[in-house]
Amino acid sequence: MLPSQFSIFRPQTSVHSPLFSAVSVSFIRSHKKLSFGSRCTFYIIVVSSITSMKYEMLWCFLHILDAGGISSSDPGCTSEERGGKVRRDVMDLSVCTREKLTHVRDCKTGSSGIPVKLVTNLFNLDVPQDWQLYQYHVTYSPDIESRRLRIALLYSHRELSNKAKAFDGVILFLSQKLEEKVTELSSETQRGKTIKMTITLTRELPASSPVCIQVFNIIFKKILKKLSMYQIGRNFYKPSEPVEIPQHKLSLWPGFAISVSHFESKLLLSADVSYKILRNETVLEFMTDLCRKSSVSCFTQTCEKQLIGLIVLTRYNNKTYRIDDIDWSVKPTHTFRKRDGAEITYVDYYKQQYDITLSDLNQPVLVSLLKNKKNDNSEAQMAHLIPELCFLTGMPGQATSDFQLMKAVAKETRLDPLVRQQHLARLADDFQRNKDARFELETWGLHFGCQMSLTGRIAPAEKIIMQDHICHPASAADWSKDIRTCKVLSARSLNKWLVICSNRAESVTENFLNCLRRVGNPMGFNVMCILPSIQTSYYDSIKKYLSSDCPVPSQCVRAQTLNKQGMMLSVTTKIAMQMICKLGGELWAVEIPLKSLMVVGINVCKDAFSQGTMVVGFVASINPRITRQVILFLLTSNPAGALNRWYRNNHGLPARIIVYRDGVGDGQLQTLVDYEVPQLLSSVTEASSKTSPTLSVIVVRKKGMPRFLAETGRNLQNPPLGTVVDSEATRPKWQMACRGTVNPTYYNVIYDDNGLKPDHMQRLTFKLCHLYYNWMGLISIPAPCQYARKLTFLVAQSLHKEPSLELANSLFYL
Amino acid sequence: QVADLGCGDVCLLSILKYQKCIEELVGVDINEGRLKWNGLSPCVGDHLDPRELDLAITLYHGSVLEKDCRLLGFDLAACIELIEHFDSEDLAKFPEVVFGYMSPAMIVISTPNSEFNSLFPCAVFRDSDHKFEWSRMQFQTWALDVASRYNYSVEFTGVGEPPTGAEDVGYCTQIGVFRKKAEAAEMAVLEHHGEHVYEVVYTTSYPSLQQINYRRRVVIYLVYREVSRLRRKYQVSLRQDELEAEFIASGNQTGKFTSDLPVPVLTEDDKAMEMAPQPFCIEDKFYVPLQRIIAYPRLGHLCGNVEKLREFLGDMIELNCDGSAVKVDLNDCSDF
Repeated sequence: MLPSQFSIFRPQTSVHSPLFSAVSVSFIRSHKKLSFGSRCTFYIIVVSSITSMKYEMLWCFLHILDAGGISSSDPGCTSEERGGKVRRDVMDLSVCTREKLTHVRDCKTGSSGIPVKLVTNLFNLDVPQDWQLYQYHVTYSPDIESRRLRIALLYSHRELSNKAKAFDGVILFLSQKLEEKVTELSSETQRGKTIKMTITLTRELPASSPVCIQVFNIIFKKILKKLSMYQIGRNFYKPSEPVEIPQHKLSLWPGFAISVSHFESKLLLSADVSYKILRNETVLEFMTDLCRKSSVSCFTQTCEKQLIGLIVLTRYNNKTYRIDDIDWSVKPTHTFRKRDGAEITYVDYYKQQYDITLSDLNQPVLVSLLKNKKNDNSEAQMAHLIPELCFLTGMPGQATSDFQLMKAVAKETRLDPLVRQQHLARLADDFQRNKDARFELETWGLHFGCQMSLTGRIAPAEKIIMQDHICHPASAADWSKDIRTCKVLSARSLNKWLVICSNRAESVTENFLNCLRRVGNPMGFNVMCILPSIQTSYYDSIKKYLSSDCPVPSQCVRAQTLNKQGMMLSVTTKIAMQMICKLGGELWAVEIPLKSLMVVGINVCKDAFSQGTMVVGFVASINPRITRQVILFLLTSNPAGALNRWYRNNHGLPARIIVYRDGVGDGQLQTLVDYEVPQLLSSVTEASSKTSPTLSVIVVRKKGMPRFLAETGRNLQNPPLGTVVDSEATRPKWQMACRGTVNPTYYNVIYDDNGLKPDHMQRLTFKLCHLYYNWMGLISIPAPCQYARKLTFLVAQSLHKEPSLELANSLFYL
Repeated sequence: QVADLGCGDVCLLSILKYQKCIEELVGVDINEGRLKWNGLSPCVGDHLDPRELDLAITLYHGSVLEKDCRLLGFDLAACIELIEHFDSEDLAKFPEVVFGYMSPAMIVISTPNSEFNSLFPCAVFRDSDHKFEWSRMQFQTWALDVASRYNYSVEFTGVGEPPTGAEDVGYCTQIGVFRKKAEAAEMAVLEHHGEHVYEVVYTTSYPSLQQINYRRRVVIYLVYREVSRLRRKYQVSLRQDELEAEFIASGNQTGKFTSDLPVPVLTEDDKAMEMAPQPFCIEDKFYVPLQRIIAYPRLGHLCGNVEKLREFLGDMIELNCDGSAVKVDLNDCSDF
């Protein structure tokens, strides 16, 4: 038994975190071999509460890049094609990489696998063969500033009144050509002034041009508005058919995300069901609830803590504000100065302006700093808001940990395939039946067609290779049962370890340790650990302390998790597996026919605190089985460093490198092709003296519109795991494969000198999806990519600094 | 029912839409291009917290000088800065249509006061489209004549106080408020079968408590709120009882446990709620009698009686077996 103070255990380290001084560790148990001063090789930490338990593991590698750096930079998205901006995702359409890839120029589809019939959420949008969009430039003489007036003058003109048109004040789009190239019109304003308008044809655009696609999107926006849908953000919702969750004060508005884009050979409209979550709670109601819950003395502090930073929506004018402060000294009966200089009380103002009678005259006011539009140095404007008139927005703060709430929301929003299909069918029906909608489409010469179905292929199931056993999992989604009795590929024995937990958790921890030994043995490794049980708020400190001062792998476990009686065995198995990974062991493998292949996963995401900094995660495999990973620093030096490790491990360089690049934002594709790929290439060549490895770069995307449903008889289901779609629903210029889970993942090969056949590339990607050790099943993106994602997420969300490199060889960030 | 004749860019309508007493708002303008309805459609807040009364807003494209039966019998017609745009012929037609045909209970007409123009640097019309600008005398003569012809009374007022030293020029804009005389109102026979001359440009209707689905929704939210409030009160009282018991057990005889909270002043409504059957607890279930819920003034107003309340609650909220009380778990985990 160890003494009860942690500081005695590690006297040589100066501990300045509140954690170690405040927590008395009264129950410490260790393996016999542990001696003081010896360095522990593993920690297990039992945490007693959830709030700060964001991640199961502590350290991470990170690299912080300036926002101006390589892949995060905004491409200058000005386009001369049109007066306004071209939407960023539209820009990506024009990025073409396939021409350079000789082996896929003619055919980019694979052929292996069992065909499966799939229904998509894509609708054909038929345009006549010779359809063209005519772009005109409009000038006024004398010139008119007001956009409104410009539009009004043009629209009221007889010449144009019955034509389909879209006009933003400068550029006019028509579906029919005007007789003359330059048309002169004149209109009279209300004041009797004559205005001359000159309409000049500037371009004729085919239906597939990006500008056209933008116009199509505008047309569909108009149509959805006509169907009395309400636009929030980019999506459209139906307020008339809300789903209510009154016990959590939430309303869900069903709606659609819609976009028109050009796929393989035709124009398609993709539609997906989406829900808008609205809160039925005013700030005042929230405050009164809070007041009842907490004591009077600390009410103001708790209130400020909970409210500041939230976005509220005003009842009367539908504007959103961020709460920057709460002014407790101002009451609604106080006066303020209106814009015209008159003094008026808040009560009177709202009564006069909005006919609203405030019920609570003692409420404080919320303070919001208005954005300075002029960007000069003048003092920021403040807005005072009345809590009673502000609705809260977004999910409640505790929502993510409130299981009941999440369950209630999930129940309504997670639609089974059949219901999803019904929603889509109704929308399509509305498009075709609604008079206004049909009229709009007809004047533009568009025809809204039927839902598209296509044939995908199911990749063959993979075998999972364990140490002395090869198993065929019953389901690729979860093979935890199949491998429970099998030995993992390789594990390291652990002889120095420590467990720290609190008195209260003593019995469960004992129980857990026994269990751990039990599951550990058949898997072929011995577990040793330290578990301190800590207060929630100390979690962050422990994390920082352990990552910077003494980089030691450790495992945190929540005491509550260990309390679940029936689950003990599976919980322990999972923990044991994680610990093996953290120690650099390997769990399982799949058969990879390519020899000497290095797989790299790169992910980039923004730091949660400082928006300007980017976090880059880089994970590379260092053995041919792709079962061991290494993480390294700078993006530029990355491949070289990874290659060195590979060299040390395998006494030679890999013949091929495949990079899976994740975290590519809208509009960044061109930058990626222009800068990042050459950079990767050059660093690969630099690192290797004689024959340099061949390289492929694949962009991975999870967010995308198309969805697929498998048709089985009359029923609709989610497609089986490993469904590959590489025709029709994909972009024409990209080589692309989709992996059908509920949300498909897109792979876009932007560079490839490995010359892999589409079939092989698809199979390999699918195999790699099996290798994520934190989940005993298939995941939606290749494992190295998921590791990189996990890593960057962890750093961006909680660490914000670089951890020790000593851990780089193991999957410590799981 | 309020009509804004010559509504222009619907500025007045977008202010009027907040008025709770209005159920129908109509805007008419001859210039279709200027009609903008972005600010008129219901917003998120209108759905979350619906109005008491229905509200329908319609914009018509048409001339005020044409008769359209959809504008008959309004409570108020506003002609703000309208008449000065008429030439003499149109001005002659105007009273016949608005006073004689539409015949709203009240008409508000505003027009520039030309006497005030002397204060402006250049002494021309305020807008190039104005056909005339009247002095107070001219406007009042015209107004009194029209009023007597169509059985209205008229009062004069204005906006825009003149600056000191020039008080005698009167308001910047003069206003005539016309009210239909009682005998005329009785005599009026509304001929609803007329022509639809105006073209509907835009129409919208607001969610309101008159619509059963919205009323039901509001009732359910309020019941949830009230029930969880009562439950929390009950839990606090339980805890206080415990504390009190401990206090006495600890040997301190001096007195009762007192709460620091100030004693709230009871209003009439609070008393009514105190009188109603109180919530109670059986095992781990907490019950609030519907009678108690209906005593809450806003719910009483929305539902009227217990039967209606029960109907509203339907299958959204669980009731006890005889349907007389709302039943919830005493300790709901979402509270903690």
